[in-house]
Amino acid sequence: MINLLFFGRLGDLAKDAPTCIASLEPDTTPLGIRQMMKADHPELSKALSEPQVLVSVNKMIVKWDEPLFEGDELAFLPPVTGG
Amino acid sequence: MPLNDDDFMRYSRHLLMDDIGEVGQQRLSDARVLIVGLGGLGCPVALYLAAAGVGQIGLCDPDHVDITNLQRQVLYRTDDCGRLKVDCAKQALEALNPGIVVSVFPREIGSEILADRYDLVVDCTDNLEARQIMNRACYSQEIPFVSAAAVVWEGQLVAFDFGHFRSLCFDCIIDHNSAEPMMNCANSGVVGPVLGIMGSMQATTVIRLLLGYFEQHGEMTRYDGKRGQWLSIHCNRNLDCPTCGSASD
Ligand SMILES: [Zn+2]
Repeated sequence: MINLLFFGRLGDLAKDAPTCIASLEPDTTPLGIRQMMKADHPELSKALSEPQVLVSVNKMIVKWDEPLFEGDELAFLPPVTGG
Repeated sequence: MPLNDDDFMRYSRHLLMDDIGEVGQQRLSDARVLIVGLGGLGCPVALYLAAAGVGQIGLCDPDHVDITNLQRQVLYRTDDCGRLKVDCAKQALEALNPGIVVSVFPREIGSEILADRYDLVVDCTDNLEARQIMNRACYSQEIPFVSAAAVVWEGQLVAFDFGHFRSLCFDCIIDHNSAEPMMNCANSGVVGPVLGIMGSMQATTVIRLLLGYFEQHGEMTRYDGKRGQWLSIHCNRNLDCPTCGSASD
């Protein structure tokens, strides 16, 4: 199982989205999880595809093609650029 | 300049602290800090650093005060509308602390401003291009870079101590070819005190860096004010980074 965290305003779009993935297919990546969301959570999937969205695994920023492993905590962070 | 009798009264709450004291206050007084962007982040950063006695403060922003700024940009008054932000800010900061020197640059940040030997640069801007210019200048000059941002209920802080760490920089985290995201403060709004929190964290980080208490090079802190949640995450160097990719450590 891996846990999913949609930080900040992504949480507003992820109200009905799963908070974990119970059985992890081999070679699943954050990009794969984003694509999984496309059919049932189109708005969330669109927000995850914006420029400058960051992904972290176990509190470390990773690339979208980083392989995920059992027990990982995957977090999606929306872009914050205003000032 | 050495501390005078007035300074001993003004900074008494710093001087009481063992880990600031006279030596620390003198370090703040000797410091030259450039604040880029005088919007919702730059206002609290400038106020706290001026109050703390940072001796020389540079202010860079091309904009004029607009009535839509007043909901969050706490340095300005209604009568300031139409005036240059840097002029209003200089006046307010010198009234707060006449013992400091404030210089103003009423234009976009550029390499000629950054070349003027600052000890530290604070990013309070709202766009990637300015952040990249500051990141690269700070990296090449080996000085700290303290960056923050905010939109709607959310804030981000990340700081780099380039004097001590030569790998991992802003360009490692946000790809230098990235487009700007769709949401910004002008089209989506922002909660004023969220900027106050992030700006206060920037000012605290500046003081820590100047006093030598900073050990979180490249660590990112996120705040979600709507849910009251914080998140700290580590960032990795990018070996393909155009700025620091060839560094050896
Ligand atoms: Zn870098």
